[in-house]
Amino acid sequence: MDKRLSEILAAIFRLREDEIKPDLKKADVGRWDSLTQMDLVVSLEKEYSIVLGIGDIVGMVSVAHIVDALKKNGVQLAN
Amino acid sequence: MQTKGAIALITGGARGLGQAISCHLQNCGATVIVWDRDAEALRQIPTTMDGLQVDVTHPLEVKAALSTVLEKHGRIDILVNNAGLIYSEPLFNLMNPESPIHDYTRFRNTLTANLDSVFIVTSAIVEQMIQRRTRGVVVNISSISAQGNEGQTAYSAAKAGVNAMTVTWAKELGRWGIRSNAVAPGFIDTESTRSALTESSLKHITSNTPLRRLGMATEVAQAVTTLIENDFINGAVLNVNGGLTI
Repeated sequence: MDKRLSEILAAIFRLREDEIKPDLKKADVGRWDSLTQMDLVVSLEKEYSIVLGIGDIVGMVSVAHIVDALKKNGVQLAN
Repeated sequence: MQTKGAIALITGGARGLGQAISCHLQNCGATVIVWDRDAEALRQIPTTMDGLQVDVTHPLEVKAALSTVLEKHGRIDILVNNAGLIYSEPLFNLMNPESPIHDYTRFRNTLTANLDSVFIVTSAIVEQMIQRRTRGVVVNISSISAQGNEGQTAYSAAKAGVNAMTVTWAKELGRWGIRSNAVAPGFIDTESTRSALTESSLKHITSNTPLRRLGMATEVAQAVTTLIENDFINGAVLNVNGGLTI
Protein backbone atom coordinates (compact mmCIF):
# COMPACT_ATOMS: atom_id res chain seq x y z
CA MET A 1 0.00 0.00 0.00
CA ASP A 2 1.06 3.54 -0.77
CA LYS A 3 2.33 5.10 2.45
CA ARG A 4 0.70 8.51 2.04
CA LEU A 5 -2.64 7.01 1.02
CA SER A 6 -2.54 4.68 4.04
CA GLU A 7 -1.94 7.68 6.29
CA ILE A 8 -4.92 9.53 4.82
CA LEU A 9 -7.28 6.58 5.04
CA ALA A 10 -6.14 5.69 8.56
CA ALA A 11 -6.82 9.25 9.70
CA ILE A 12 -10.25 9.38 8.09
CA PHE A 13 -11.40 5.94 9.22
CA ARG A 14 -9.59 6.23 12.57
CA LEU A 15 -7.72 3.00 12.03
CA ARG A 16 -4.07 2.06 12.36
CA GLU A 17 -2.07 2.33 9.14
CA ASP A 18 -1.38 -1.42 9.19
CA GLU A 19 -5.15 -2.01 9.08
CA ILE A 20 -5.42 -0.25 5.70
CA LYS A 21 -5.36 -3.05 3.14
CA PRO A 22 -6.81 -3.28 -0.38
CA ASP A 23 -9.49 -5.73 0.67
CA LEU A 24 -10.76 -3.47 3.45
CA LYS A 25 -14.40 -2.75 2.63
CA LYS A 26 -16.88 -0.09 3.67
CA ALA A 27 -18.88 -2.73 5.55
CA ASP A 28 -15.80 -3.56 7.64
CA VAL A 29 -15.32 -0.02 8.91
CA GLY A 30 -17.91 1.21 11.37
CA ARG A 31 -17.07 4.85 10.80
CA TRP A 32 -17.27 4.66 6.99
CA ASP A 33 -20.65 6.27 6.42
CA SER A 34 -21.89 8.80 3.87
CA LEU A 35 -20.47 11.76 5.80
CA THR A 36 -17.06 10.08 6.10
CA GLN A 37 -17.25 9.41 2.37
CA MET A 38 -17.51 13.17 1.83
CA ASP A 39 -14.47 13.76 4.07
CA LEU A 40 -12.64 11.06 2.14
CA VAL A 41 -13.37 12.68 -1.22
CA VAL A 42 -12.40 16.16 -0.05
CA SER A 43 -9.14 14.85 1.49
CA LEU A 44 -8.16 12.86 -1.59
CA GLU A 45 -8.94 15.73 -3.94
CA LYS A 46 -6.89 18.13 -1.85
CA GLU A 47 -3.94 15.75 -1.45
CA TYR A 48 -3.70 14.73 -5.09
CA SER A 49 -5.08 17.90 -6.74
CA ILE A 50 -7.78 15.99 -8.61
CA VAL A 51 -11.53 16.23 -9.00
CA LEU A 52 -13.35 12.93 -8.62
CA GLY A 53 -16.49 12.29 -10.62
CA ILE A 54 -19.75 11.29 -8.98
CA GLY A 55 -19.36 7.76 -10.43
CA ASP A 56 -15.94 7.40 -8.81
CA ILE A 57 -17.20 8.78 -5.50
CA VAL A 58 -20.17 6.41 -5.35
CA GLY A 59 -17.99 3.48 -6.43
CA MET A 60 -15.41 3.90 -3.68
CA VAL A 61 -16.67 1.17 -1.37
CA SER A 62 -13.33 -0.51 -0.57
CA VAL A 63 -9.69 0.51 -0.38
CA ALA A 64 -9.12 -1.32 -3.68
CA HIS A 65 -11.84 0.79 -5.29
CA ILE A 66 -10.26 3.95 -3.88
CA VAL A 67 -6.91 2.96 -5.38
CA ASP A 68 -8.60 2.26 -8.73
CA ALA A 69 -10.37 5.62 -8.71
CA LEU A 70 -7.16 7.48 -7.92
CA LYS A 71 -5.21 5.67 -10.64
CA LYS A 72 -8.02 6.36 -13.11
CA ASN A 73 -7.59 10.03 -12.31
CA GLY A 74 -3.86 9.95 -13.00
CA VAL A 75 -2.55 9.54 -9.46
CA GLN A 76 0.61 7.46 -9.24
CA LEU A 77 0.68 5.26 -6.16
CA ALA A 78 3.37 2.99 -4.79
CA ASN A 79 2.40 -0.67 -4.43
CA MET B 1 -17.71 35.35 -1.41
CA GLN B 2 -17.88 38.50 -3.41
CA THR B 3 -21.43 39.26 -4.55
CA LYS B 4 -19.96 41.13 -7.49
CA GLY B 5 -19.56 38.71 -10.36
CA ALA B 6 -21.44 35.89 -8.65
CA ILE B 7 -24.44 34.12 -10.16
CA ALA B 8 -27.38 34.30 -7.78
CA LEU B 9 -30.72 32.51 -7.88
CA ILE B 10 -33.57 33.92 -5.83
CA THR B 11 -36.77 31.91 -5.48
CA GLY B 12 -39.93 33.95 -5.13
CA GLY B 13 -37.78 36.83 -6.26
CA ALA B 14 -40.24 38.78 -8.36
CA ARG B 15 -42.33 40.37 -5.59
CA GLY B 16 -42.11 41.80 -2.08
CA LEU B 17 -39.11 40.80 0.00
CA GLY B 18 -37.78 38.58 -2.78
CA GLN B 19 -37.84 41.46 -5.21
CA ALA B 20 -35.90 43.64 -2.77
CA ILE B 21 -33.29 40.88 -2.40
CA SER B 22 -33.06 40.40 -6.18
CA CYS B 23 -32.58 44.12 -6.78
CA HIS B 24 -30.03 44.48 -3.98
CA LEU B 25 -27.96 41.55 -5.25
CA GLN B 26 -28.02 42.99 -8.74
CA ASN B 27 -26.99 46.40 -7.41
CA CYS B 28 -24.08 44.65 -5.68
CA GLY B 29 -22.94 43.27 -9.03
CA ALA B 30 -24.41 39.76 -9.12
CA THR B 31 -26.02 38.17 -12.15
CA VAL B 32 -29.55 37.61 -10.90
CA ILE B 33 -31.84 34.74 -11.82
CA VAL B 34 -35.38 34.96 -10.49
CA TRP B 35 -37.67 31.98 -10.09
CA ASP B 36 -41.26 32.79 -9.32
CA ARG B 37 -44.58 31.14 -10.05
CA ASP B 38 -46.27 34.49 -10.64
CA ALA B 39 -45.99 35.08 -14.40
CA GLU B 40 -47.33 38.63 -14.17
CA ALA B 41 -44.77 39.61 -11.51
CA LEU B 42 -42.01 38.03 -13.59
CA ARG B 43 -42.96 40.20 -16.54
CA GLN B 44 -42.25 43.25 -14.39
CA ILE B 45 -38.75 42.38 -13.20
CA PRO B 46 -35.92 44.37 -14.78
CA THR B 47 -34.84 43.03 -18.17
CA THR B 48 -31.32 42.70 -16.78
CA MET B 49 -32.57 39.85 -14.59
CA ASP B 50 -33.22 36.38 -15.90
CA GLY B 51 -36.77 35.38 -14.92
CA LEU B 52 -38.24 31.91 -15.08
CA GLN B 53 -41.70 30.73 -14.06
CA VAL B 54 -41.17 27.83 -11.66
CA ASP B 55 -43.26 26.18 -8.97
CA VAL B 56 -40.58 25.27 -6.46
CA THR B 57 -42.78 22.65 -4.79
CA HIS B 58 -42.46 20.42 -7.86
CA PRO B 59 -39.12 18.56 -8.03
CA LEU B 60 -39.34 17.84 -11.75
CA GLU B 61 -40.14 21.44 -12.58
CA VAL B 62 -37.18 22.58 -10.48
CA LYS B 63 -34.89 20.10 -12.20
CA ALA B 64 -35.95 21.31 -15.64
CA ALA B 65 -35.55 24.97 -14.68
CA LEU B 66 -32.12 24.25 -13.23
CA SER B 67 -31.01 22.66 -16.49
CA THR B 68 -32.10 25.80 -18.33
CA VAL B 69 -30.15 28.01 -15.92
CA LEU B 70 -27.00 25.88 -16.09
CA GLU B 71 -27.13 25.83 -19.85
CA LYS B 72 -27.10 29.60 -19.91
CA HIS B 73 -24.99 30.54 -16.88
CA GLY B 74 -22.90 27.42 -16.26
CA ARG B 75 -23.16 27.46 -12.47
CA ILE B 76 -24.96 28.93 -9.48
CA ASP B 77 -22.89 30.52 -6.70
CA ILE B 78 -25.64 31.88 -4.48
CA LEU B 79 -29.04 30.42 -3.70
CA VAL B 80 -31.58 32.49 -1.79
CA ASN B 81 -34.58 30.41 -0.77
CA ASN B 82 -37.21 33.08 -0.38
CA ALA B 83 -40.32 31.53 -1.95
CA GLY B 84 -43.12 30.72 0.45
CA LEU B 85 -46.44 31.86 1.74
CA ILE B 86 -47.76 33.14 5.04
CA TYR B 87 -50.67 31.23 6.48
CA SER B 88 -52.26 31.99 9.83
CA GLU B 89 -54.59 29.67 11.72
CA PRO B 90 -54.50 28.56 15.35
CA LEU B 91 -54.47 24.87 16.29
CA PHE B 92 -57.89 25.21 17.92
CA ASN B 93 -59.84 27.37 15.54
CA LEU B 94 -63.22 28.49 16.78
CA MET B 95 -63.75 30.50 13.60
CA ASN B 96 -63.87 27.39 11.44
CA PRO B 97 -67.56 26.46 11.05
CA GLU B 98 -66.84 22.88 9.93
CA SER B 99 -64.43 21.84 12.67
CA PRO B 100 -62.63 23.72 15.43
CA ILE B 101 -59.34 22.03 14.56
CA HIS B 102 -56.66 23.54 12.27
CA ASP B 103 -57.37 22.41 8.73
CA TYR B 104 -54.93 19.60 7.96
CA THR B 105 -54.80 20.19 4.22
CA ARG B 106 -53.83 23.81 4.84
CA PHE B 107 -51.22 22.66 7.36
CA ARG B 108 -49.67 20.36 4.74
CA ASN B 109 -49.86 23.02 2.02
CA THR B 110 -48.10 25.54 4.23
CA LEU B 111 -45.30 23.08 4.97
CA THR B 112 -45.00 22.18 1.31
CA ALA B 113 -44.72 25.83 0.27
CA ASN B 114 -42.32 26.93 3.00
CA LEU B 115 -40.32 23.83 3.95
CA ASP B 116 -40.49 21.20 1.18
CA SER B 117 -39.68 23.85 -1.41
CA VAL B 118 -36.44 24.76 0.39
CA PHE B 119 -35.44 21.11 0.48
CA ILE B 120 -36.36 20.53 -3.17
CA VAL B 121 -34.48 23.53 -4.55
CA THR B 122 -31.45 23.28 -2.29
CA SER B 123 -30.89 19.58 -2.88
CA ALA B 124 -30.98 20.09 -6.64
CA ILE B 125 -28.63 23.06 -6.57
CA VAL B 126 -26.20 21.69 -4.02
CA GLU B 127 -25.79 18.60 -6.20
CA GLN B 128 -24.70 20.90 -9.00
CA MET B 129 -22.45 22.93 -6.70
CA ILE B 130 -20.68 19.78 -5.54
CA GLN B 131 -20.35 18.35 -9.03
CA ARG B 132 -18.77 21.60 -10.19
CA ARG B 133 -16.90 22.10 -6.89
CA THR B 134 -18.52 25.51 -6.56
CA ARG B 135 -17.83 26.95 -3.13
CA GLY B 136 -21.30 28.40 -2.97
CA VAL B 137 -23.61 29.80 -0.35
CA VAL B 138 -27.23 29.08 0.53
CA VAL B 139 -29.28 31.73 2.31
CA ASN B 140 -32.69 30.67 3.55
CA ILE B 141 -35.32 33.24 4.38
CA SER B 142 -36.72 32.14 7.70
CA SER B 143 -38.97 34.18 9.99
CA ILE B 144 -39.38 35.44 13.52
CA SER B 145 -42.25 32.92 13.62
CA ALA B 146 -39.73 30.06 13.75
CA GLN B 147 -39.54 30.75 17.47
CA GLY B 148 -43.24 29.97 17.77
CA ASN B 149 -45.97 32.47 17.00
CA GLU B 150 -49.50 32.12 18.22
CA GLY B 151 -51.97 31.74 15.39
CA GLN B 152 -49.33 30.32 13.03
CA THR B 153 -48.91 26.63 13.82
CA ALA B 154 -48.05 25.57 10.29
CA TYR B 155 -45.97 28.59 9.29
CA SER B 156 -43.99 28.52 12.55
CA ALA B 157 -43.32 24.80 12.16
CA ALA B 158 -42.18 25.27 8.57
CA LYS B 159 -39.81 28.11 9.43
CA ALA B 160 -38.41 26.24 12.45
CA GLY B 161 -37.75 23.40 10.01
CA VAL B 162 -35.97 25.81 7.70
CA ASN B 163 -33.72 26.90 10.58
CA ALA B 164 -32.94 23.28 11.41
CA MET B 165 -32.07 22.48 7.80
CA THR B 166 -29.90 25.60 7.64
CA VAL B 167 -27.77 24.42 10.55
CA THR B 168 -27.70 20.80 9.37
CA TRP B 169 -26.53 21.82 5.91
CA ALA B 170 -23.89 24.12 7.40
CA LYS B 171 -22.46 21.09 9.18
CA GLU B 172 -22.78 18.72 6.24
CA LEU B 173 -21.70 20.96 3.39
CA GLY B 174 -18.95 22.95 5.06
CA ARG B 175 -16.41 20.30 4.04
CA TRP B 176 -17.22 21.13 0.41
CA GLY B 177 -16.77 24.84 1.04
CA ILE B 178 -20.50 25.43 0.76
CA ARG B 179 -22.00 27.63 3.48
CA SER B 180 -25.59 27.67 4.69
CA ASN B 181 -27.17 30.54 6.59
CA ALA B 182 -30.58 32.04 7.20
CA VAL B 183 -32.10 35.45 7.72
CA ALA B 184 -35.07 35.58 10.07
CA PRO B 185 -36.98 38.78 9.41
CA GLY B 186 -39.35 40.19 11.97
CA PHE B 187 -42.18 42.39 10.82
CA ILE B 188 -41.17 44.05 7.59
CA ASP B 189 -43.14 46.78 5.88
CA THR B 190 -44.31 44.87 2.82
CA GLU B 191 -47.61 44.43 1.08
CA SER B 192 -47.99 40.90 2.49
CA THR B 193 -47.41 42.09 6.07
CA ARG B 194 -49.95 44.86 5.70
CA SER B 195 -52.52 42.53 4.17
CA ALA B 196 -51.95 39.84 6.82
CA LEU B 197 -52.17 42.11 9.87
CA THR B 198 -54.69 44.66 11.07
CA GLU B 199 -53.67 48.24 11.70
CA SER B 200 -54.01 47.71 15.46
CA SER B 201 -51.78 44.61 15.30
CA LEU B 202 -49.16 46.60 13.44
CA LYS B 203 -49.32 49.36 16.06
CA HIS B 204 -48.94 46.77 18.83
CA ILE B 205 -45.93 45.19 17.10
CA THR B 206 -44.32 48.55 16.49
CA SER B 207 -44.71 49.64 20.09
CA ASN B 208 -43.16 46.36 21.30
CA THR B 209 -40.18 46.64 18.99
CA PRO B 210 -37.25 48.44 20.66
CA LEU B 211 -36.61 50.40 17.46
CA ARG B 212 -40.35 51.37 17.38
CA ARG B 213 -40.84 50.70 13.67
CA LEU B 214 -41.30 47.98 11.08
CA GLY B 215 -38.26 46.83 9.15
CA MET B 216 -37.58 47.70 5.55
CA ALA B 217 -37.20 45.12 2.82
CA THR B 218 -33.82 46.61 1.91
CA GLU B 219 -32.61 45.91 5.46
CA VAL B 220 -33.39 42.21 5.00
CA ALA B 221 -31.60 42.29 1.64
CA GLN B 222 -28.54 43.84 3.29
CA ALA B 223 -28.54 41.01 5.84
CA VAL B 224 -28.56 38.52 2.95
CA THR B 225 -25.45 40.08 1.40
CA THR B 226 -23.70 40.11 4.77
CA LEU B 227 -24.22 36.35 5.04
CA ILE B 228 -23.05 35.89 1.46
CA GLU B 229 -19.91 38.00 1.74
CA ASN B 230 -18.53 36.96 5.12
CA ASP B 231 -16.84 33.63 4.37
CA PHE B 232 -16.65 32.54 8.01
CA ILE B 233 -20.35 32.84 8.81
CA ASN B 234 -21.85 29.38 8.53
CA GLY B 235 -24.94 27.94 10.18
CA ALA B 236 -26.13 31.33 11.38
CA VAL B 237 -29.73 32.41 11.66
CA LEU B 238 -29.53 36.18 11.60
CA ASN B 239 -32.48 37.94 13.23
CA VAL B 240 -33.52 41.14 11.46
CA ASN B 241 -36.35 42.27 13.68
CA GLY B 242 -35.46 45.56 15.33
CA GLY B 243 -34.84 43.73 18.61
CA LEU B 244 -38.40 42.43 18.94
CA THR B 245 -37.23 39.06 20.32
CA ILE B 246 -34.67 40.32 22.84
